[in-house]
Amino acid sequence: MGTGYRISADIGGTFTDIACLSPDGVLTTAKTPTTPGDYASAILAGIADVMRRLDLAPGHFDEILHASTIATNAILEGKGARTALVTTEGFRDVLEMRRVRVPRLYAPLYQKPAPLVPRRLRLEVAERLDAKGGVVRALDKAAVRRCGEALAEAGVKAVAICFLHSYANPAHEAAAEAILRDMLPAGTFICSSHDVLPEIREYERTSTTVVNAYIGPVISAYLGELQARLLAAGLNGRLLMMQSGGGLLDVDRVIARPATVVESGPAAGVVGAARLGASAGLGNIITFDMGGTTAKASLIENGRLVTTDEYEVGGGISMSSALAKGGGYALKLPVIDVSEVGAGGGSIVRIDAGNALKVGPDSAGAVPGPACYGAGGVHATVTDANVVLGYLNPLALAGGSVPIDAALSREAIERVVCRVLDRSLLDAAWGIHRLANSAMMRAVKAVSTYRGRDPRDFALFAFGGNGGIHAVALAGELGMARVIVPPGAGVFSAVGLLFTDHEVSRSLAFGRPLAGDDDALGAMQAAFARLEQTVRQELADPAATLRWRAELRYRGQGFELGVDVPAGPLSQATLAALRIAFEREHQRSYGHDLGDHAIDIVTLRVIGTLAPKGPGRIADSAPSADAIVPETLSAEARRPAYFGPDHGLVDTPVIGRAGLGDAPRRGPLIVEEYEGTTLVPPHATARRDRGGNIVIDLDAGVEP
Amino acid sequence: MKDNVDPILLEVFKNGFEAIADEMALILMRTAHSPIVRDAMDFSTALCDAEGRNLAQGLTTPMHLGSFHDAMRHLIGEYQGDIADGDVFIGNDPYLASGQHLPDIYVIRPIFHEGAVQGWAATIAHHVDVGGLVPGSNSLSAVEIHQEGLRLPFLKLRRAGVVDPVLPKVIAANVRMPDQVLGDIEAQLAATQAGARGLAAMIARYGARTVRGYGEVLHDYAERMARAAIRAIPDGVYAFDDHIDGLGDAPEPVHFRLRLTVSGDEVTADWTGTSPQVRGGINAPLSFCKSNVYAALRSVMGDDVPNCHGYTRPIHVVAPEASVLNCTYPAPCGARGITGYRIVDCVFGALAQAVPDKVAADGAGGSTLPSFSGRVDGRTFVFSECVMGVWGATSGHDGQEGVPHMASNQANVPIETIEADYPIRIERYGLVPDTGGAGRNRGGLGIVREYRMLADDLYFGVRSDKVVHPPHGLFGGQDGAPAINLLRDARGERRLPAMPTAALTLQSGDVYRHVMAGGGGFGDPFTREPERVLEDLIDGRITRDHARQAYGVVVTEAGVLDLAATAALRAERENAQDAHRH
Repeated sequence: MGTGYRISADIGGTFTDIACLSPDGVLTTAKTPTTPGDYASAILAGIADVMRRLDLAPGHFDEILHASTIATNAILEGKGARTALVTTEGFRDVLEMRRVRVPRLYAPLYQKPAPLVPRRLRLEVAERLDAKGGVVRALDKAAVRRCGEALAEAGVKAVAICFLHSYANPAHEAAAEAILRDMLPAGTFICSSHDVLPEIREYERTSTTVVNAYIGPVISAYLGELQARLLAAGLNGRLLMMQSGGGLLDVDRVIARPATVVESGPAAGVVGAARLGASAGLGNIITFDMGGTTAKASLIENGRLVTTDEYEVGGGISMSSALAKGGGYALKLPVIDVSEVGAGGGSIVRIDAGNALKVGPDSAGAVPGPACYGAGGVHATVTDANVVLGYLNPLALAGGSVPIDAALSREAIERVVCRVLDRSLLDAAWGIHRLANSAMMRAVKAVSTYRGRDPRDFALFAFGGNGGIHAVALAGELGMARVIVPPGAGVFSAVGLLFTDHEVSRSLAFGRPLAGDDDALGAMQAAFARLEQTVRQELADPAATLRWRAELRYRGQGFELGVDVPAGPLSQATLAALRIAFEREHQRSYGHDLGDHAIDIVTLRVIGTLAPKGPGRIADSAPSADAIVPETLSAEARRPAYFGPDHGLVDTPVIGRAGLGDAPRRGPLIVEEYEGTTLVPPHATARRDRGGNIVIDLDAGVEP
Repeated sequence: MKDNVDPILLEVFKNGFEAIADEMALILMRTAHSPIVRDAMDFSTALCDAEGRNLAQGLTTPMHLGSFHDAMRHLIGEYQGDIADGDVFIGNDPYLASGQHLPDIYVIRPIFHEGAVQGWAATIAHHVDVGGLVPGSNSLSAVEIHQEGLRLPFLKLRRAGVVDPVLPKVIAANVRMPDQVLGDIEAQLAATQAGARGLAAMIARYGARTVRGYGEVLHDYAERMARAAIRAIPDGVYAFDDHIDGLGDAPEPVHFRLRLTVSGDEVTADWTGTSPQVRGGINAPLSFCKSNVYAALRSVMGDDVPNCHGYTRPIHVVAPEASVLNCTYPAPCGARGITGYRIVDCVFGALAQAVPDKVAADGAGGSTLPSFSGRVDGRTFVFSECVMGVWGATSGHDGQEGVPHMASNQANVPIETIEADYPIRIERYGLVPDTGGAGRNRGGLGIVREYRMLADDLYFGVRSDKVVHPPHGLFGGQDGAPAINLLRDARGERRLPAMPTAALTLQSGDVYRHVMAGGGGFGDPFTREPERVLEDLIDGRITRDHARQAYGVVVTEAGVLDLAATAALRAERENAQDAHRH
């Protein structure tokens, strides 16, 4: 131990990405095929690959950082634990009724997702609290014991307990939990809603608790096995896992509250962008992560991530998730606010009944994939258009590892588009490329203009397998002046893990007016002190940085805005400053404030962080073996690429990242790497900064 | 322009218009103050072109979809020549502003570029109260609109950016919950501001001429798509009749008569023969009738059709003047939502004959709308919510439960926030066994919601339906169970009609229990797989008796399927029917 190497693994549907950072900041990456059912094997294979290349021993790694879609997959595939719900008499259907609203309009054949707990396993017990936590009806302990017998017989592996108003008084839930723990076999995963999400709104609290229970045994078994396998291989570094809201957590904490890691993969990429952006001097960033099926965007302002708790897991792609609720399973825990649209490299192109050209949301996926893969895909896709346009290597993708046939791309686009719309091949491909951009613009807008942020004040930070191809055009459409493509863009979630804080966040429902008397002020001070104590205990490191936050809203509203609270003694002056900060944020987000309208403090939160132990940036060293341009490409090849009717086909240099230096180089340029391709059109310049990022500046005033 | 259409730019503009309407909706929801807007989401947003035709609607309320056009035409006609940059209009009256009903208030902002109107950012929101006879302003007993609350023709809430000092005071003085109403109007203002900003950015990027041009192209495209979809429906005249239970203790059914004519790529909904307007607040203005016909037909057109005005062009609506579907002054319309739901249900009833695989059997008939009001600690409270909802079965699956009516897409209000805010306790919320219409595919189960009063002298009113006329099944599927309104007070327990008109005052401890109707079944229940019947039994969705009687499926006391007894029972009915036929 103690050599300062850190390694990370991000498990995706197709590939497991590995990234390793040396004590002096040298980045090494690897990609191995994901091994479903035995995820640890892919991780170990990837780590072994890195160890071999860097000549390291397993004991060299201080930390092993992890992100995974395992929780999401368990939910999407219905492979969570057999779970029961114990709830207040009269309310076992709250889980199934949801919030009633459905995500699709004009759809009489719509079917709701099946509840994670079937009705037969949703049991009721007599008990009732009122909204202040007062006991209206005492807990019927005999009924709880009857539940315990029934659940033992049913062989459930997990139990969620959720009683009405338990956020105001946990006593009934705690008592029921104790009885059930006594009765059910050891190893049964039992959790109570007051512990998972002590907040008002019964459906959201019930659903969150149920999701937690449903994935609990799966995550616990998975992480337990992973830890054992790593140790068996001599990898004895500390294992930490990414949380959906940003920040790493020790695996034993994760096992206790598994619902916090559901969106760990996308979160890692966004966190990485925030850290690497900051080290490149950029605090205001919109991330743009384009893969094969979807494109995701997220906003970073002054180096800070934006989190939301309006989230549904397994809801499919949602453009404006807050409006289109009901398609997944509500999970009201902090998640980095990522908007997603169904546009990626594999998105299928078609002509609809009104003769309009459409791109996505259906995707050809990895199998059969775009037509050019030659794996039987008959659909034209966005990737096929990018091949026709000359943006992608006509012989092979992924550094030569995926051979392609450009003729198949041409054939597909001619068949699907040209013959129907009477357009030339290039014109059709150009149209598909732009349409994909137009769909992806909505993802960017959903995290910026929808929240009163002007994208022109931000740089676009592009990653994912296809991010670099579309980023500059997308930025141009939105008036954004700068695009960053970081090193390791194709495995960026793994890279991001290396730059993520260790983080513990705790919140409580406060529910008092902002203009409080000294009593209220005292209560707030005490609440923050309690939260601080918990967070410090869990982080167990005096170097931790603690931040206080309050979530406020105008009385009557249903949605909060968060503001910072200066940590320390609170006074009436603090409250006055909070009011001003809230009004400013309201003005900014929605375009108005309500003057002296009453403001309520809904939630208090303390976030404790520990900076990553390694270097804060990537050293711009010579490219490691995996980044060397394969021999199918000469060091300075050229190929024709199409940049729209104004430029036409331009003979464009194709270079590696190392071919860029400090001095801006004018487009057109194509930067080809193992992990992805970056396109620099004629109206932009590109250079490589000290952190190895490709920095692309768009010429002012040029229409894309 | 039209000769020179770039299909890519068309899609770019379509995406762009929709993004603006969605952004407006999100801001409205996040800043709204009343539970009915912020939680139940009973509002809509639209981006309209300079002529007031919608280019896009936010992902909000289908029955509002066609409601912007007539109001916009009214507004533009009335204010032509007197529309300035920074103006914001407000209005609600069905007769003076081509509105919907008084609680639905429009807030609309013209969007200027270089001195000319280039479009409109329009919102409509259901306000918790606009005064009138009863809290919630949805009185069933009103006999003229003057009893229903504050009537607003289109007025300027802002004049060239300057706040009108009078209007907010007038509104505040005339409504029971001024904070919530003015707060929601602020939310609507914020949404229109965002809409204006969005369109302005688009014009800055592409130029006003191009944006307008592609607005036209979008309408034409939507029309083409709609015509293609209508052409796919077999030609014919599809007749369908249905009823609303009617008003008061001895209700007279309100009769809906529809003849839906599909001819080539056009469709006409002719409501001739429908009941005359009634003395009670369930009359629908023609614009609302049209809006619901559009929404129902839109539902069988497929996802690609843009929600802009153009798609309505091949749809024609005929409704006799002074009928419940085309009411005339001074007919009251405060509770006309139920009429809209029935319009949609009738169109689906007719479509089931033409495209049986594209629609569901009848559902619970729209939201049940209980309203409670009173004074607690010296303050007035008004609480209304939409209880929803149940769908009938389709040819492919069982009916859905806990879903909004197709025409609304509202949400429920959390029980915990109700109990935190009002002197009401919810004692039961869930599914009621045996209430789904039996069928090869079963209708959704009825939903119970039970309210206990925790304070004295509370006003109570409810608008429901399907107590007398339950949801119908399709193709041998049975009707769903009828709705039940039950009141338990000092006088004991009694049934209420679907739409009581007499004033009801409740005391602490009184209980109102509503059971929504179950959805209709699809196909002969005796052809449902016994295993699926058993699954329903294990999940408590049906009882053993019901399995036997409605499905001919025998399950032993130990919960085991008795296939032999089932076959015998099913054959017995078959034989009886054969005998009957001979």
